[in-house]
Amino acid sequence: MSEQIREQVSAFLDGELPSSETELLLKRLTRDGELRESFGRYAMIGEAMRGAGSHILARGFTSRVNLAIDGEPAQVPGQAHPARASRWWRPLAGVTVAAGVATVAIVALQQRAISPGARVAPALTAQNVRAQNVRAQNVTAQNARIPQSVVAAQNASVQGGGGAREALSYTVPVRSADAPAALSPARFTNYVFAHSKYSLGLGQRGVLADLLIEDDETQPAPIQGLAQPSLTPQPPLTPEARVAP
Amino acid sequence: MTRFRQRRAVWLVPCALAGALLTTLPQRAQGADDSREWLERMNKALTTRNYDGTFFHLSGGRVETMRIVHRVRAGRVTERLQSLDGSGREFVRANGELTCYLPDQHTVLVEQRQERGSFLGSLPQFDASVSDFYRIETLPATHILGRPVRVIAVNPKDQFRFGYRLWLDEKTAMPLKTQLCDSRGQVIEQIFFARLDMPENIPDSDLTPTVRTEGMRWVRQGPSPDSASAALGAYRASQLPPGFRLTIQGAQTLGGASAPASHLVYSDGLATVSVFVEEPSASPAGAAAAPDAQPEPPLQGLARVGSGYAFSTVVQGHQVTAVGEVPAQTVEFIAHSVKIYSGGELPRH
Repeated sequence: MSEQIREQVSAFLDGELPSSETELLLKRLTRDGELRESFGRYAMIGEAMRGAGSHILARGFTSRVNLAIDGEPAQVPGQAHPARASRWWRPLAGVTVAAGVATVAIVALQQRAISPGARVAPALTAQNVRAQNVRAQNVTAQNARIPQSVVAAQNASVQGGGGAREALSYTVPVRSADAPAALSPARFTNYVFAHSKYSLGLGQRGVLADLLIEDDETQPAPIQGLAQPSLTPQPPLTPEARVAP
Repeated sequence: MTRFRQRRAVWLVPCALAGALLTTLPQRAQGADDSREWLERMNKALTTRNYDGTFFHLSGGRVETMRIVHRVRAGRVTERLQSLDGSGREFVRANGELTCYLPDQHTVLVEQRQERGSFLGSLPQFDASVSDFYRIETLPATHILGRPVRVIAVNPKDQFRFGYRLWLDEKTAMPLKTQLCDSRGQVIEQIFFARLDMPENIPDSDLTPTVRTEGMRWVRQGPSPDSASAALGAYRASQLPPGFRLTIQGAQTLGGASAPASHLVYSDGLATVSVFVEEPSASPAGAAAAPDAQPEPPLQGLARVGSGYAFSTVVQGHQVTAVGEVPAQTVEFIAHSVKIYSGGELPRH
């Protein structure tokens, strides 16, 4: 971060950057991922240094922030393990509105799968993902012939072998797990999604923001058994038909 | 004489203190009322005004830049939220539908949404019960984006909930900056605007997604399936953290599960915690077990989810999971206190 940008960031965080310069800073931040990272660290350290009790941006904290950021950027006061916290953070970050969208689709599909007349579809797991991905290729090929088609999830029914009804679902490919050794947050996904519809207040904004966030290398293991677009690494979300056992 | 003076001085201290208290107490009460009014003004601005802004979302040392466009025309809300940092993802809410464009996933998700709120969220109204557990205070005014702002803190009175700090534009009551904080005041996540305009008119073009949808898969979702209600067992939290009470109960089949789970929603008016209880025969939603695989062990323990936590345990063979944007101890407390009431009278909360 150059001195000039550092000053701009400080002034912005202090609420003292003129709007013309704010526009410029914004453009820079939008273009430059590295700068965004520094900015995030900077803002966080600033918050931590202002301390728990002081709510207002303290003027003149900039020099202390500079010191901290130039010294040991990883050692954020009040945050013992930033990297690990971040890893925990990412997997289930999407909690409300948008997450709800993905979930509701899945919930409905699951319900459809267990509705009378249809046999219970197997739950999606790491173990059967590979087999399903193979089947998914066929379905993808079918879909490719009808681009931009609207799939009405509740009515969608692809005829499979033996006339068995198949439920449309989504697969999040499994990556090698680098999640923390404690209980995998992935296993909570379904609950979090279901909860999201009832969550109140300003919590929604973070959720939306999280769903809009670009996937990156620091992502932990993906969620099993559910579509979670904000977190899905490559390959992309794949539709597939699942044959009831 | 000297002694008399000393005594008088001793008496003066409590008098001065009492006087100071008498003068500050009404001001404090008035300040809280004033803050509530400002929060209501903020809610109104968020849901009824036109605005077009770019903001930063910071969490865990990460920053994302986003643009929000919100238009209210003839009582109809159209809203668009767009990532400016590269994923190209966009949400558009219009005509009772929420559409999520996920170009990196080659997918568009559509869901019915009747909410009248804003992508930026809002705070529920502060009634007396909320005031019992959160303290609203006005903090010294400052400036953001060169505009004078009023700063309001909604502080949790105990460690069972999170709080907010809001920097509200004096002129429009729009939140130019907001923070989610724990009871010690540590910031968990925050957003702040780098630019915010409130134009009279917003053209359709500003609400039209820029995502090219050729070749993308659309998934359209009907009404929420939550109405699927089964005759489930009677589950309740036998004890709750102060202020929490049961607000919603129902049942729904979660992804990966073969039977509906009982879903209880507890709230203190601001914070919300969901509790899911699954019967022993049902495959827990978190387990997602395959028929040809070893069933996963029941969920037991804590996980960080978004800005909150999830905690799972087993009660009389039932999988019990509490999830919410609350501190870890709140979900733990509630999950541990869940009981199965067979034939007995349910607790009232």
